[in-house]
Amino acid sequence: MYLKVLLNYILGYLNIEIEGYYIEKFINLCNNKKIALWNLKREKTTILNANIGITDFKEIRKILKKTKCRVKIKNKKGLPFIFNKYKKRKIFLLLLAICIATIIALSNFIWNIEITGTNKINKDEIMQILEETNFKVGTLKSKADTKEAINKIRLERDDVAWVGIDIKGTNAVVEIVEADEKPEIINEEEYCNLVASKDGIISKVNAANGTPLVKEGDVVKKGDILVAGWLEGKYTGTRYVHATGSVEARVWYSQKEKVPLKQIEKEYTGKTETKYSLNINNFKINLYKRLSNFEKYDTIEEYKKLQLFSDFYLPFGLTKITNKEYNEKEIILQKEDAKNQAVNLAEEKINEQIKDKSKILNKQIKVNNTDEYIEVEVVYEVLETIETKEKIVF
Amino acid sequence: MRNRKRYKKGNKFNKLLEMPKEIYSNEPKITVTGFHELLIENYKSVLEYEEFYVRINTYIGIININGFNLVLNEMSEDDLLITGKIDGIDFETIVDEEEE
Repeated sequence: MYLKVLLNYILGYLNIEIEGYYIEKFINLCNNKKIALWNLKREKTTILNANIGITDFKEIRKILKKTKCRVKIKNKKGLPFIFNKYKKRKIFLLLLAICIATIIALSNFIWNIEITGTNKINKDEIMQILEETNFKVGTLKSKADTKEAINKIRLERDDVAWVGIDIKGTNAVVEIVEADEKPEIINEEEYCNLVASKDGIISKVNAANGTPLVKEGDVVKKGDILVAGWLEGKYTGTRYVHATGSVEARVWYSQKEKVPLKQIEKEYTGKTETKYSLNINNFKINLYKRLSNFEKYDTIEEYKKLQLFSDFYLPFGLTKITNKEYNEKEIILQKEDAKNQAVNLAEEKINEQIKDKSKILNKQIKVNNTDEYIEVEVVYEVLETIETKEKIVF
Repeated sequence: MRNRKRYKKGNKFNKLLEMPKEIYSNEPKITVTGFHELLIENYKSVLEYEEFYVRINTYIGIININGFNLVLNEMSEDDLLITGKIDGIDFETIVDEEEE
């Protein structure tokens, strides 16, 4: 039903008034000639209101003559009449055409590059590689060579396992899968030593294969051989082996933190002002005139690319600049507070380095007091296995 | 006489296949939905049309519809949809000589 109404609207129809004495005859003749009438309504005994399609209206005239009826057009509805209205407005049509043409032209370019899947890799570095290969914002889609760009990234970066470039609309999505760092695996059949990976004092040596060169209480430095990859026998002589085993040692982690007693704290007044600026590629147009009213303020910039649809990015962007006013406030910390602050900072940093926290043997805190600042050194003593394999090179 | 020739009475084959009657024969099918909508299939012509009275010719007789504000909403060759407040429907059967 609604489809029929819509179809009639697209094709255009007329609301007509038929006046005459033989209206039934008129209806039947129309029916016989397959002229569609709808919404017929009798107003008075001699007047009929009806809707009729545009093309059928021309054929109606013969029937009207036969039945001696008169017709009057009351209303014109539908798209053909709307188009007819705009035929005279040529500039409007021209601008509409230009508008559509520019949108079509713009859709042939890449206006946004999105890099996904990166955790460790810096997105800017990938961007730079892309730019070298002619794959950048503003290139024609047909000229952008995705294969070349992919090859270039994979050649230059070892830490990228897979690259895929997907162009959707004006948006290019560069999907990157990072490669895990490969541990250097030494073949079981190759000869190797066990070497210290950290400085420390040996607390336990357990050599499964090979000759232990250190014993409990020895101080080792990074790189020292702990278990050598050879065995000496009375009769067999020196025989090289693949050394295995575990060496535990006490390792120290230390972290120094300085906290000044005089500190400046920002106190936001709550006043903010927002400004906008328009970006066209790298060209920036400020939409504001004055500099900030505030004396001291933090600036937060938010950049947003304009898009028509979800994947149709335009070459324009809006930058929203928010200025937050603050007052500077000087605080003089108590020595105890400053010390706690410093210790907390240092402990946080150390905790990031230590893998197994249950093996912390003891903590030491050294405090250095001065009038201006407090310096704290936190030292952790941790039991760790420190051996790593290293190939024997002959 | 021409009309009577066009009147089709279903044969046994169609009855055996349980075809809908309005398709194989020319008998009209009248569907009344509520009191405001009436659909006539297999009609021949509109004999009279007033706001309060519609007289429709079919192959086996005449259908009279009384009501208020009757509007012929949709018209095609076979179907006719009438909307408006319907008060009553009555029929005038044309006596068929063959049946007598």
